[in-house]
Amino acid sequence: MASSSSSGLTFKLHPLVIVNISDHYTRVKSQLNPPPLTSTSATVNGVENQQQAPRVYGCVIGVQRGRTVEIFNSFELLYDPSTHSLDRPFLKKKQELYKKVFPHFYILGWYSTGSDAQESDMHIHRALMDINESPLYVLLNPAINPTQKDLPVTIYESELHVIDGIPQLIFVRSSYTIETVEAERISVDHVAHLKPSDGGSAATQLAAHLTGIHSAIKMLNSRIRVLHHYLVGMQKGDIPCENSLLRQVSSLLRRLPAIESEKFQDDFLMEYNDTLLITYLAMFTNCSSTMNELVDKFNTAYDRHSRRGGRTAFI
Amino acid sequence: MDSAIAQKTWELENNILTVETPDPSSDSIFYYDEAAQAKFQQEKPWANDPHYFKRVKISALALLKMVVHARSGGTIEVMGLMQGKTDGDAIIVMDAFALPVEGTETRVNAQADAYEYMVDYSQTNKQAGRLENVVGWYHSHPGYGCWLSGIDVSTQMLNQQFQEPFLAVVIDPTRTVSAGKVEIGAFRTYPEGYKPPDDPISEYQTIPLNKIEDFGVHCKQYYALDITYFKSSLDCHLLDLLWNKYWVNTLSSSPLLGNGDYVAGQISDLAEKLEQAENQLAHSRIGPLGPPRKKLQEESQLAKITRDSAKITVEQVHGLMSQVTLLFQIFRT
Repeated sequence: MASSSSSGLTFKLHPLVIVNISDHYTRVKSQLNPPPLTSTSATVNGVENQQQAPRVYGCVIGVQRGRTVEIFNSFELLYDPSTHSLDRPFLKKKQELYKKVFPHFYILGWYSTGSDAQESDMHIHRALMDINESPLYVLLNPAINPTQKDLPVTIYESELHVIDGIPQLIFVRSSYTIETVEAERISVDHVAHLKPSDGGSAATQLAAHLTGIHSAIKMLNSRIRVLHHYLVGMQKGDIPCENSLLRQVSSLLRRLPAIESEKFQDDFLMEYNDTLLITYLAMFTNCSSTMNELVDKFNTAYDRHSRRGGRTAFI
Repeated sequence: MDSAIAQKTWELENNILTVETPDPSSDSIFYYDEAAQAKFQQEKPWANDPHYFKRVKISALALLKMVVHARSGGTIEVMGLMQGKTDGDAIIVMDAFALPVEGTETRVNAQADAYEYMVDYSQTNKQAGRLENVVGWYHSHPGYGCWLSGIDVSTQMLNQQFQEPFLAVVIDPTRTVSAGKVEIGAFRTYPEGYKPPDDPISEYQTIPLNKIEDFGVHCKQYYALDITYFKSSLDCHLLDLLWNKYWVNTLSSSPLLGNGDYVAGQISDLAEKLEQAENQLAHSRIGPLGPPRKKLQEESQLAKITRDSAKITVEQVHGLMSQVTLLFQIFRT
């Protein structure tokens, strides 16, 4: 299997797909390995339970605009081990159902779990070619490896290569980026870090917001440090010079300062002014409310029209 | 490790219950025990106690699907169904799917149109290995908060008569984006004529003027349940790794740009409420000294308005703060 694709398509993957596949896998696995019913066996940790790791299959749907393929969602499919293919009528039925709710999406490919793409997967891949001429194969590795730094998700495409004189279809890896909508990002963040979900005081909200930004900036910082370290190493001569990398870094640096245009300044100042105006308005409302309360309290305390007549101080 | 100490202090101050990182052996929540569920269905412990279900556990997948679907509707209300099971006094939502109907506020019987879809979808799901039953419905209230409207209340009461156990969930995608946290509420209605023994203190949320009557009339007919979230060990692992890729999106997102209309709407709504409060105040001055209760109401009206305006401001300032920090401190030479 070649290691890089040459089709020139850019892939964007939404986190929903990843969570979908992971949930499908966890479900099937836990149905196959029912939890121990007695409490005593649950505490025995030493016995290595022979946990079967099933392979699950499904379909990914999304949109392709020009050279960009965006994978939005996915659903499960049935696999027929006797014919080594996916259940076709089931696929059609599910596709119809999903078309009703998401009319813009169409089938982009299929997914499966496992550690590496296998030869038998090519059969399934070929079978899907009548729906989409160039389907994608998304592979998720469900093995939990705490030292892993990269997402265990790979996207394969198929390409026709001539091997030993015979044109064959083989899988080639493609790179992808993670794309999110704002709402998706917030809910993923929410579930990932289990942030406080209630309103809380303004202080907790602020803290939560700033923590999010802080961790993102920390990430940026660490990445820049790595780059810096690498470049210093290259300068000293410890690491062989890689020109393509140097070119990328220099183009990145030349783009800073990021935004200097006049229009941006205007827009930004307008937004800034809007926010200040809103703050002013809120302060005003707060002040008038406090004033109102004060006046009412004053009226109650120094009541001129009370039945007892005259001014009575409220003790 | 000051950061670790600081985090622990913050967590302590805010009563954060740390859920232990689930390990593979604790994924048992994903196991569907058919026999136990059937037995629970037969016992019907909720028939005697209208306040039986107190908690809701929503899986990561269900939350993500519901929020994405709600947001994709834009300003149109969308709805869908949730699948899951029960566990003592908690309802567990494992998955959710969208229904091809829109605008539930005008039609009580929206689910009748979608029955065929629901049956088809449930059948295919059962074949594919998702064995849970439908355990509730969700819909979105884009921009006007998480509560049940009059029609929602009657729909839910009907559901609770015939499809128990059933849960109603409301999501507000607009407020989610603007506030930066998920706006979601889970509710169950009381049966007709039942008076709750004590008034539950619900979290205050601002309701636009044109809906406030609807909210006020029905707010005593249902109660909110506590929502917690859970995820599997694999989800945990994947989400951690996902962070390595999408921290960029956190930096580049700007809630201010997407929600301009919403904020403008909020402010004009606030202005109307202020006018209304002013009218009430003026009336009470002219007439004879009314009972002190009336004065209290206006004050709370004004106090509410103040709180709303403070909330809008805080959200705006947050959005702006991130922009200022990034653009002027980090990316400028």
